[in-house]
Amino acid sequence: MTDRRTLVVVGASLAGATAAATLREEGFDGRLVVIGAEDLAPYERPPLSKGYLRGEESLDDLFVRSPDWWKEHDVEMRSGVRVESLDPAERVLTLDEDERLSFDVALIATGSRNRRVGAPGVELEGVLDLRTVADADRIKEAAASGGPAVLIGMGFIGAEVAASLRALDVDVTVVEPFETPMQRALGMEAGRALADIHADHGVKMRFADSLERFEGNGRVERVVTTLGDELDAAFAVVGVGVQPNAEIWPGELAVDGGIPVGPTLESEVPGVFAAGDVASHEHPMFGRIRVEHFDNAIKMGEAAARNMLGAGAVFDDPHWFWSDQYDVQVQMVGRAPEGAHTIMRGSHADRSFCSFSLDEEGVLRAVTSLAWPRDVRRSIKLVQAGARPDPEALADPEVDIRTLLPKEE
Amino acid sequence: MAGFVTVSRSDEVGEGQAAAFAVGDEEVAVARVDGDLYAFSDICTHRACNLSAGGEINGTTIECECHGSVFSMETGAVVNPPATEPIATFQVREVDGEIQVAAGE
Repeated sequence: MTDRRTLVVVGASLAGATAAATLREEGFDGRLVVIGAEDLAPYERPPLSKGYLRGEESLDDLFVRSPDWWKEHDVEMRSGVRVESLDPAERVLTLDEDERLSFDVALIATGSRNRRVGAPGVELEGVLDLRTVADADRIKEAAASGGPAVLIGMGFIGAEVAASLRALDVDVTVVEPFETPMQRALGMEAGRALADIHADHGVKMRFADSLERFEGNGRVERVVTTLGDELDAAFAVVGVGVQPNAEIWPGELAVDGGIPVGPTLESEVPGVFAAGDVASHEHPMFGRIRVEHFDNAIKMGEAAARNMLGAGAVFDDPHWFWSDQYDVQVQMVGRAPEGAHTIMRGSHADRSFCSFSLDEEGVLRAVTSLAWPRDVRRSIKLVQAGARPDPEALADPEVDIRTLLPKEE
Repeated sequence: MAGFVTVSRSDEVGEGQAAAFAVGDEEVAVARVDGDLYAFSDICTHRACNLSAGGEINGTTIECECHGSVFSMETGAVVNPPATEPIATFQVREVDGEIQVAAGE
């Protein structure tokens, strides 16, 4: 019996592709269309700043499913096509060239795009950023002809690109307005430990300073900072955050710029869902939240697919993410509330630690680690369960975190 | 049909542990849970990390240390993403205090 409905996934992103694959794996056998603006089959982006950038992984290693998978599973993969608008009353999408596509159920997983900087000289050749495979190829090519490279911003992208460029023996200077790398994600102390690791690998960091302008004759030659430093640059990589691609949403956007969806990822338009970077989700534990991480895109994509088929399940994933830089890994799960009480395993001074954030009621709300394997992932279930683990046990590296999970009733 | 080859002494894979061995062209992990042995490809199908190196065993599953993919050690099936492809599993047995695996050519 073939399902007569048409399901459309807008965005061949990790969230969108995962949702489409999940729909087939869950047995949906009706018409399934995925519309993606890029020309490539859906791929994973994390390696673009890491293994792919260093030449250790190829494009084939990046695909969410092998490019043949979509055809084999009767998914209409429309690559290189944009969706211009969504009409919630008619339940019709308008694509490039005024093509109209009716849907019964739709998922918006259009992801995000890089923020641009408004600085003079941004249009010069050699001023690069990183989102797509083509962007990564441009950085690889620039790195192959040598540095120095100047990176603008030391969030996830800046920190990972810095590590990869150092592995390629490129001279790297980073300009970052905060006082440490990844400070918004990690906080000041963990950020300082990470800064030390980058310094050991020869990265020059200009904190509490920012981009004033790019200079050069057709091609970038130097970066001038707000404090007046002039940094020689054979190329520059800008990584200053992203903004959601929410333009097709016909309703009001959330304050975070995302498409507002309820606990089950369904929007105010029945049968229209959103997932991934573009979704502003009413999370049962964290409140309204928009998350720009890899694992969330997969988990939300899977959950959205099941709910598109009527499961009606609340999405309550506690949001785990990682970053690989040199031979150290940063991991985090959950969200630390304001004024959280922190308990440590290891130490910042050793640059190897796991820190547990408890709220005022002693509930474990977030866990962050640097070069400290296992304990963040072991904590995921505790965060999800709203557990109140014994602080002394948390501080004792000999205690297996898994034993602190409350027994089910 | 691959025959069994000896990869190690029995005491080299303790309870709750995993170790990796080269068998022909395959990197094979052998794990022991509740006394039973499981043999499977040591290479995570997501980003090619070695499962036995830091992989965490929970029951009959193993979780890759790199990015959290979880596989069944019995069937090779993906239990948790980001991996989407299963890992190969192999026959394994203990004979006279030695671990033997049927894998590779």
